[in-house]
Amino acid sequence: MAVDRLLLIALILPFAGSIVAGFLPAGARNAAALLAGTIALIGTAILIAAYPALPGGGGLRYDIEWLPSLGLNLSVRLDGLSWLFGFLILAIGALVVLYARYYMSAEDPVPRFFSFFLAFMGSMLGLVLSGNLVQMAFFWELTSLFSFLLIGYWHQNQSARDGARIALITTGAGGVCLLLGILIIGRIVGSYDIDRILASENLIRSSGLYMPALLLILVGAFTKSAQVPFHFWLPHAMAAPTPVSAYLHSATMVKAGIFVLMRLWPVLAGTDEWYFIVSSTGLATLLVGAWAAIFQQDLKGLLAYSTISHLGLITLLLGLGSPLAAVAAIFHTVNHATFKASLFMATGIIDHETGTRDLRRLSGLYRYMPITATLAMVAAAAMAGVPLLNGFLSKEMFLAEALAEHSGTFVDQLLPVIATLASAFAVLYSIRFIHQTFFGPPPVDLPRQPEEAPLWMRVPIEVLVLACLVIGIVPALTIGPFLATAVQSVLGDRTPVYSLAIWHGFNAPMLMSLTALVAGTVLYLLFRDRLNAMKRSPVIGRLKGRKTFEAVLAVIVAGARWLEALFGTRRLQPQLRVLVCLALIAGLLPFVRFDYRPGPLPVTLLDPSFAIVWLLGAACAIGAAWQAKYHRLAALILTSGAGLATCISFIWLSAPDLGVTQLLVEIVTTVLLLLGLRWLPKRVPDHWPEARVPIQVGLRRSTDLLVAVAAGLGMALVSYAVMTRPLPHSISRYFMEHAYFEGGGTNVVNVILVDFRGFDTLGEITVLGIVALTVFALLRRFRPAAESVASPVQQREQTASDHASPDRAVGDTVADYMLAPKVIMEWLFPVIIVFSLYLLLRGHDSPGGGFGAGIVMSIAILIQYMARGTRQVELLLSIRPLRWIGAGLLCAALTGAGASLFGYPFLTSFFSYIAVPGVGTVPAASAVLFDFGVFGLVVGATVLILIALAHQSIRIPRAPADEPKASLPASDGGAA
Amino acid sequence: MEIVLALGIGIFTASGIWLLFRPRTFQVIIGLCLLSYAVNLFILAMGRLRMDAPPIIERGVAVDPSQYADPLPQALVLTAIVISFATTALLLVVLLASRGQTGTDHVDGEEKDGEP
Amino acid sequence: MSGWASHLVIGPIVVPLVAAAAMLLFNDRRTWLKRALGIATTVALFAMALVLLQTVSTPAADGGPARPLVYLLGDWAAPFGIVLVADRLSVLMLMLTSILGFAAMVYALARWDRAGPRFHALFLLLLMGVNGAFLTGDIFNLFVFFEILLAASYGLVLHGSGVVRIKAGLHYVTINVATSLLFLIGVSLIYGVTGTLNMADLAARIPHVPASDLMLLEGGAAILGIAFLVKAGMWPLSFWLPTTYAAAAPPAAALFAIMSKVGIYVILRLSSLFFGQDAGAAAGFADTWLTIGGLATIAYGVIGILSAQTLTRVAGNYILISSGTLLAAIGTDSATVWAAALFYLVSSTLAVAAFYLLIEPVERGERDELAPGAPGAIFEDEYVGTFDEEEDESGIAIPATIAVLGGGFILCSLLLSGLPPLSGFIAKFAIIDGLLIFEDTISPTTWALIALIILSGLAAMITMTRAGIDLLWTPADRPQSYLRVVEAAPIALLLALCFVLMVQAGPVMGYMEATARALGQPHLYSEAVLSAPRISQPAVAP
Repeated sequence: MAVDRLLLIALILPFAGSIVAGFLPAGARNAAALLAGTIALIGTAILIAAYPALPGGGGLRYDIEWLPSLGLNLSVRLDGLSWLFGFLILAIGALVVLYARYYMSAEDPVPRFFSFFLAFMGSMLGLVLSGNLVQMAFFWELTSLFSFLLIGYWHQNQSARDGARIALITTGAGGVCLLLGILIIGRIVGSYDIDRILASENLIRSSGLYMPALLLILVGAFTKSAQVPFHFWLPHAMAAPTPVSAYLHSATMVKAGIFVLMRLWPVLAGTDEWYFIVSSTGLATLLVGAWAAIFQQDLKGLLAYSTISHLGLITLLLGLGSPLAAVAAIFHTVNHATFKASLFMATGIIDHETGTRDLRRLSGLYRYMPITATLAMVAAAAMAGVPLLNGFLSKEMFLAEALAEHSGTFVDQLLPVIATLASAFAVLYSIRFIHQTFFGPPPVDLPRQPEEAPLWMRVPIEVLVLACLVIGIVPALTIGPFLATAVQSVLGDRTPVYSLAIWHGFNAPMLMSLTALVAGTVLYLLFRDRLNAMKRSPVIGRLKGRKTFEAVLAVIVAGARWLEALFGTRRLQPQLRVLVCLALIAGLLPFVRFDYRPGPLPVTLLDPSFAIVWLLGAACAIGAAWQAKYHRLAALILTSGAGLATCISFIWLSAPDLGVTQLLVEIVTTVLLLLGLRWLPKRVPDHWPEARVPIQVGLRRSTDLLVAVAAGLGMALVSYAVMTRPLPHSISRYFMEHAYFEGGGTNVVNVILVDFRGFDTLGEITVLGIVALTVFALLRRFRPAAESVASPVQQREQTASDHASPDRAVGDTVADYMLAPKVIMEWLFPVIIVFSLYLLLRGHDSPGGGFGAGIVMSIAILIQYMARGTRQVELLLSIRPLRWIGAGLLCAALTGAGASLFGYPFLTSFFSYIAVPGVGTVPAASAVLFDFGVFGLVVGATVLILIALAHQSIRIPRAPADEPKASLPASDGGAA
Repeated sequence: MEIVLALGIGIFTASGIWLLFRPRTFQVIIGLCLLSYAVNLFILAMGRLRMDAPPIIERGVAVDPSQYADPLPQALVLTAIVISFATTALLLVVLLASRGQTGTDHVDGEEKDGEP
Repeated sequence: MSGWASHLVIGPIVVPLVAAAAMLLFNDRRTWLKRALGIATTVALFAMALVLLQTVSTPAADGGPARPLVYLLGDWAAPFGIVLVADRLSVLMLMLTSILGFAAMVYALARWDRAGPRFHALFLLLLMGVNGAFLTGDIFNLFVFFEILLAASYGLVLHGSGVVRIKAGLHYVTINVATSLLFLIGVSLIYGVTGTLNMADLAARIPHVPASDLMLLEGGAAILGIAFLVKAGMWPLSFWLPTTYAAAAPPAAALFAIMSKVGIYVILRLSSLFFGQDAGAAAGFADTWLTIGGLATIAYGVIGILSAQTLTRVAGNYILISSGTLLAAIGTDSATVWAAALFYLVSSTLAVAAFYLLIEPVERGERDELAPGAPGAIFEDEYVGTFDEEEDESGIAIPATIAVLGGGFILCSLLLSGLPPLSGFIAKFAIIDGLLIFEDTISPTTWALIALIILSGLAAMITMTRAGIDLLWTPADRPQSYLRVVEAAPIALLLALCFVLMVQAGPVMGYMEATARALGQPHLYSEAVLSAPRISQPAVAP
């Protein structure tokens, strides 16, 4: 199998392993560790196998089509740099796995740990192996996510939760910026492919979008690599289990930012913007980190800040923009990874064995754990840059670069001094780390009795320390070629000549190193005790990154709440006001743009009686608006008056069907509202303080009035404008022409309803049915307000009188109440039913139709309820409205579907002429069947709504009831 | 005629909207009724006004559409009437339920000061 | 397409209707019958959507772009009768709806379908309304279907009753009744000017509307637009949305996720048909307004997410954000952005639906006041449902609940904040990518849109992290939460689909691009509709 495919496997394996580990039982510590270790080793092996293709600027890549139209492929790309990083990720990963196996206690759900760990490893690998930038951002965010899970692994501790959250939000936000920056680069270059981007450096640097892209990408890189001012998340991430810290903060997480800087160095570096932003940030981070590290009392804290300062150093080197500096940066990345990982592991051992990481409590551990101590010392020496160790070599390169000329600005002048100073600090905290922990008197009252760590816990450290030594002594033979390949892949033909010799003669850098070593030692001897007394680091200790972070978040949330209260509302009236106002504006803007013009048609002659009708109608409407608050009944009557005016105008304007229907609906609606009134609270006129309407209320009312009038005016103007324009060539001509010959009806409106646009009708009755269902469901759970539960006054008096007079049974009065109308109404029943059937059948040819008929039918039933009272009616006829609804819907729908049996579309109607003796030929259209469905549903729905509401008055509370129970006839068992 | 009808629609709309903005559920439902009248008339008006020309045709004779009122808006209005009837009924029941559950007939289910 | 296949277009509307009607015929206590019927119907809907998807995405015989399927109801030729049109866009939405419908229906089996009477019927009728809105090619018929889906949604919002739902329901109903009136005004005004209701016919007629009538046309269109924007939830017409959805029962809320998209769909459909490139004087009408409104909506959604106190409000505000993003994207009028936006539409809808379903188990034990029957029934005939009986035929509680919930929560958070590895990342990337390249010099509004999209992701991340840590990581004395298989399965299904979207981004995006291209050529749509043949000329009467 081709090696490039193998790379893909190396990339997929960790994720697959992560899933497997996730499903392992919580106890399976060894299995999980074994799995993780094997995967890491396999990956390493694959990388080694792939190496031969790389030297001399060669590379491997393997593309899989993913989202081609957006130029996004899943491409694995390996070159010198990504090889170096990949190797660190996998090799150190393997060591950390081994270490973690012994570090994690058996109580923890270790498989979950390894599952996250593998996923994180995979994400890192994917990041460095990405062949296009979007994919890189993809894996970048994944590293943020999984580092979050790793840091929060012990989420029972507050510190772990906070650390994880801070890390995620900081690096995640950075990641978004990075993505945006990458997309901008993509727009500039026209591709996200790394090779194409690396090839078009001039294009990028000369583009007007260079600056935003640069800034966004830098923010991304700096957040990830804990550069000032985003460094605060890193120390808090120390709440993670030590193996995690050893991995995240040496070889992986924090190096991701560095990697991006190196990857894009050829195209982004070399400009002044780059030089100033990157190098000054690096410089600041270098100093801040080193300075803070000196004053830490927690071993891991010290290492954390030293990590920050080393990252600053690398960033600074990259910022300088000279090839040699870049070489130094790459080299130092490797070295830092090795010694920092080993130091973290050593710290872990100390923590494990003594139960504390507090420098002030630790001392003289050498006598308990000589091997670990020795290893730690070597690593720390490397960190301090002691000769014969790898740290020294890259440090030398750095110092040499510091002396070199770059921009000829003050930075250049300061650099040597600052570099020396920083190195001195490094020496200082390294010595402090070692001396405090391992030397001095035996420790007192440690939580645990320290002893040497188990062999396999030490092995990873030994390997890494060995690496430090070997690289430090024979660099050219060990790291040399790999470094060369990496440098080659970044710098290409700009690769400078550099030597990895450990002895360049007694030159200025050497002098600086020595100064740093001496200074650091002296400082430590002078201040060691005072350092131990320190609570927090001077100067910068005051600016608490974390506090600021939390404060900022708090402010954001508070601000958001304030804004939401300002720009939002949860009350109804403002929402309706906004709705109406917006509609008004939307409707009127066009008229502002094109100005308002009535049409050319002459207005039809005004019939005075029509005017009178409308005078009354308008009066009713206004009256209703006026009365609706305190005199509901009056308002209701006035509304019906307005409705009546509407009916009349319908008939007047040659729409008889509308007139009839409107009238019928009017009746039912009024009855409904009447039934409802009983449950509404008594309105007492509102009495304001100091007996006058407050200003803001008056103001609101007047604005409402204004809006209302404006809206009314708008409607009037628009309708007038339309009515005075000639009717456009409308599709309704067709309806007139075809209604009889193809629709089989002479009442065109009805033909439209049941045939041309029968689908609308089907929908409309569905709505009615749904509403009935909802009403039914709602009223089953209806709770009247306490004060309106009691039966009405009149009823109570009648019952009382029945009780009083011996010759009457309870309810008699009610029974005799309005006897005459009652009888009439009972007799009306059959008449109305006949009338409704008549409406139903004639509908197709003259005003009427299923809907009207249905309403009439339900009115008939309603009247029965009025006349005989609920219980009696339900004893007589069993009404199951829900069935009516279902049946009606089915009838209508199936009539429609029937057509498809004959290969015609839904709702195709058929009709022929049947000769009925005495009547003559009448058209029998399948549409009539459809109308039956409508009828059934309307009856069901209307009756259901009315009865359900009427029933509220006779519902019986669950309290032990002695009178006969009434249950909703609507309830499905089918009452009565 | 046109002017009267237009004014009528306008007045209905205005009263309806005024009520729509009121804080009491009953006012709102009445307002919506008025508004639906206005809208129904508006729809009818979109087919222009015709007197004594209901779209009911003779059997089996070719018809001249221009002699009749536009039937389509009427069909639309019929649908609209039905739907507004349904929604009114629903709204009524909901407001009764809200009145029952919250003890007030304020649209927000709670009394606001300065919101009679 | 012939024989039964030719009737497939009507299926998504009639099948749920008939099923629901049948459900009304038998007793509400026969729960399992209804459940079986309900599940079967949703599955059938999915199958139909699948076949339709197949059909509309196979290119025409002449190798040209696939023609939309046109169904002449009542066999009346367009524009006179009502037509149903199934093209790539509508079928895409049908597919999405059927998936949500199935997931929510299964989830409801856990217990929600017993929280009140007639759940399944209402649910299916809502599906019918939504499908109809996607399929119809007639603006008044669109109104009817809007009413159907609204009426059903009223029922579902109030399903289970309780004071919270009734308060929210009152606002919801009132606002939507008012909105429907606007809808009617807009439609009739357009008819008054153009003399037709058929969308295709309108697209053909609008370019020829005389300048003297243009103000009426645009006025009508604008009022209509307001009605749709209320559904879509554009600020400042959106305040009802988070509250209402938060009050609704989880499965209902999950299904509602599609309803705001109905508004979006209609706006996209009509603006591309009526005011597309070849619309003459009215071309590009209201694009800027859409963009501005979209920006405002995202901004408000971001604010809302940051200030949200409960997860349901987070979800609601996320819906606002996605609506805003889509509106602004539609406003760009660029096919590239539209394609990305469609991808985003699918992804965000699935995501928020999954989230709504997940919230209740995660917060279980804190939202019981929404559970029906909670205040013991006080009337003889009061419906209490079989809700509180804890012997549950609907699946055993699955082990490792916390792990499953945690995983699901993380995935939802990733989707909401547009982070990898799920489709949210691709969607965000695609939209921003499209925005960066669709104009020669990037305009300030575009920058603002990009910035807001980024910010919305961050806001979601911040809030979700806080909430997740509080709910899942912080040791609390809340009762050990349980999760039934029927609850976990739908969530898993939706999230898995998001994963598939990510892996299969290529083909999916291909479909979206074709869809966006088709939207750019309204004349093809019009021709297809107006030239659709009738089956026959029925016999003329003697």
